[in-house]
Amino acid sequence: MSLPCGIRNYNYAQDMAIFRTKTHWGMLIVFLVLLFTVPPLTFNHLWLNTVNTIGITLIATLGLNILVGYCGQLSIGHAGFIAVGAYTSAILTNRFDMPFLVGLIAAGIVAGCVGIIFGLPSVRVKGFYLAITTIAAQFIIIWVINHWGLTGGFEGISVPYASIGGLVFDSDVKQFYLVMVIVLIAVFVAKNLMRTKVGRAFIAIRDNDLAAEVMGINVNYYKLLAFFIGCFFAGIAGALLAHTTYYLNAEQFSFTDSILYIGMIIIGGLGTTIGPMLGVTLVKIIQKVLLPIYMVPWLENSITSLPAGFATGLAPIVFGLIIVLFLILEPRGLAHRWNLFKAAYRLWPFSY
Amino acid sequence: MDQLLQYVITGLSVGMVYALIALGFVLIWKSSSVANLALGQIVLLSSWFTYSMLVQANLPPIVALPIVIIFALCLGWVIERFALRPLIAQPILSLIAVTLGIGYFIEGVITFIWPWSVDALPTLFPQEVVHIGPAVISQEYLWVIGICLAVFVLLTLFFRFHRMGVAMRATADDQMAVQACGIPVTRVFSMSWMLACVVAAIGGVLISSIGGITHGLVNTGLKAFSVVILGGLDSFVGALVAGPIIGLLETLGGGYLTPYMWGGVRDVIPFIIIIIVMVIKPFGLFGEKRIERI
Repeated sequence: MSLPCGIRNYNYAQDMAIFRTKTHWGMLIVFLVLLFTVPPLTFNHLWLNTVNTIGITLIATLGLNILVGYCGQLSIGHAGFIAVGAYTSAILTNRFDMPFLVGLIAAGIVAGCVGIIFGLPSVRVKGFYLAITTIAAQFIIIWVINHWGLTGGFEGISVPYASIGGLVFDSDVKQFYLVMVIVLIAVFVAKNLMRTKVGRAFIAIRDNDLAAEVMGINVNYYKLLAFFIGCFFAGIAGALLAHTTYYLNAEQFSFTDSILYIGMIIIGGLGTTIGPMLGVTLVKIIQKVLLPIYMVPWLENSITSLPAGFATGLAPIVFGLIIVLFLILEPRGLAHRWNLFKAAYRLWPFSY
Repeated sequence: MDQLLQYVITGLSVGMVYALIALGFVLIWKSSSVANLALGQIVLLSSWFTYSMLVQANLPPIVALPIVIIFALCLGWVIERFALRPLIAQPILSLIAVTLGIGYFIEGVITFIWPWSVDALPTLFPQEVVHIGPAVISQEYLWVIGICLAVFVLLTLFFRFHRMGVAMRATADDQMAVQACGIPVTRVFSMSWMLACVVAAIGGVLISSIGGITHGLVNTGLKAFSVVILGGLDSFVGALVAGPIIGLLETLGGGYLTPYMWGGVRDVIPFIIIIIVMVIKPFGLFGEKRIERI
């Protein structure tokens, strides 16, 4: 199932390669070329904006996937860590006039360190206890943001455009390139990190942390490392979010967002790299385009007496249902379906 | 001094409500090892439902409150039957995530039906103030404490003497053995969800009769987790002891710390307690220490 038909590996490097055949490489290059030309040239403002959001969310979700999907440390406070990154970058660039790149890196590192602090209980507890700790982290972080003078409190903080050298990313198209380059780096890092010693240690801890410890893996170190990496990604995503929305407010990082992040990796498939991509794309397209642009007006036209909270209530209802249904009907997520499709397509027209 | 007494009484009554909601959590956790993170939304939903019955349908409390209880029973049954039953024996991550999904869904339903998001429940308790020593205390706080204690006593009796209560305790102890004895485990699960929803609904009605219905009730449900953590996940006594402790710390901290801290410190105290307990004594005051075997 994992290998295309008729392919043999003659050495270790071939066996470990992600892209095995010329067709793979060809498809990758075609995909990248399409990715970097089609959206900026043909998409309208709405869709381009959606694609940017998908990219930013994907970075955060890749981090969450490392933490939850690979290392098995449940975190329901991811929006809080994203907020840390966003505000770090916002404060550095707005209040201290630092360049964007410094803010970006600092956002990742600060978010990672905050993640380690709130991940400390993971040394002693796991499962539900850890989930509660991260929920607590979410609320404490948002409280600090709302009351600390430096963050602008409830009024929020305005953020300058991202700029590297003389290049200012002040339009959708420019931001698209910025976001996509970072997304590619993030995907590359996330995919390859899981093929190294660190990634294998994470997986061992997820599957059975006691057994991992007995086998000589420093469980505490790797758990905290997972928190750092996961939150580092969140911080980077937060910084990008800050510099593409120009204005930050703690409302943007609510507890329900944290739930939705968990929902996205579950819909996509835990512990895979393709999973977050599929999950984020599906959820964000539904959230940004399908519901507000198509579903709501259509329902409002076809059903006359809708309650007033219909438009805002629809999204949580839909996503709540999707999360529950995916857990019940396809717990391995869209990634599993994708693998089934790939296997079927490779063997086509034969059924096995 | 009178201020202190006032804080103590409010803290105790809020804490008792937390304890009640926490009890709803412990009930489910003990019988089926499912962590119900949708508790806050269940509390909010039942408060809004009470509002609908009392204000929108204009029923007298004596009719409306039993309807609320029946509604909570149905809610618990539906959640268990359609969302949790298919996930029996799944990893804990799925179980936590499914309750999060349910919570999200319920939140949508709430915005759908009651979009104005803030309202007051009609007063259920007499309004005259009571004088205890130098302090002047609104009578409703005492009523809340009384009702919570009554619910605790009822639940204790139920677990002690009722067949189902005994079955639930047995299931908490050893699921396999219980199944071998011919006790319908699935029915025990449904029953625990139904009871938990009723307890959470009572907590919701009590707290919203004092403070009104706001979206903050979801956070109240989350704050109840600090009670669960402090008291120990699988301990009824723990919830009963930790509830008032959290309530007291919250009101006292809110009362005396606010001048020295940022505003709103009251609302994060339970979450700070969670972190502290996690680092120092993760299994809580009365929780069973679990030893893992390979």
